[in-house]
Amino acid sequence: MHPFDIREALLAKHAQHVVLIHFPIALFLAGVAFDFLAYWTKRQSLAAAAYFNFLGAALSTIPVVITGILAWQWQLEGQKLKGILLQHLVLGSVSSVLLWLTWTIHEWTRRRQNGWLPAYRLPIEAVGAAVVALTGHLGGFLSGVNGPG
Amino acid sequence: MRRSVFTGGLLAALGMVAGMAGGSGSCTASAQQKPATADVKIDNFSFGPAELTVPVGTIVTWTNRDDIPHTVVSTDDPKVFKSKVLDTDEKFSFAFSKAGTYSYFCSIHPKMTGKVVVQ
Repeated sequence: MHPFDIREALLAKHAQHVVLIHFPIALFLAGVAFDFLAYWTKRQSLAAAAYFNFLGAALSTIPVVITGILAWQWQLEGQKLKGILLQHLVLGSVSSVLLWLTWTIHEWTRRRQNGWLPAYRLPIEAVGAAVVALTGHLGGFLSGVNGPG
Repeated sequence: MRRSVFTGGLLAALGMVAGMAGGSGSCTASAQQKPATADVKIDNFSFGPAELTVPVGTIVTWTNRDDIPHTVVSTDDPKVFKSKVLDTDEKFSFAFSKAGTYSYFCSIHPKMTGKVVVQ
């Protein structure tokens, strides 16, 4: 495959998942960093930055989940998963739920007049960051970034 | 004299029958000879050897020695062979009954490719 062949790149059966996954990971981890800073500094602007990062992260999970399922169906023909593949699927699903949960907490707070962000969001975000990191670690193994060449 | 000739002839005939039976037995044994086998090791994101030449009828066995799952899938359309996902130490075997060149790859890591040449 030529790296600048758009048609081949777009039609590669499972390459998109590996590319798209970087968006929710980056946006969510940046959002968590902004939100923790907002909590310590009490600055609303940082909380707003966190909110939009979480919104982008949550939205970008949609194509990621779709391409992940398509990779499973096309490349592995939907066969029963086990081992690292199953762990990656389960942790990826949990990660998506935690991303959406985090954004939902922020969204509920924004809709309320003078709403304060609840402190319990922080442990949820911390767990979310850990699960996202673990999912990405397994995904890195599966994609072969640790392999030669 | 005639009796001994008859007995001798009978024994000779029995010997021939026994010999034929033994001969047919040895034919059966040769037909049941184990087919040739060859092994391909999957390790460090590569098939080893990447290209394998074997005679017709050889059973090739792929063994995943890597820490992560791999597959062995023919590139031909329709697919000549296709393994399930192989975890560490799992094996997949295929008997090559026709001569030809069979290219294959790992569907999880398409950069991993190999070839079996059957002569």
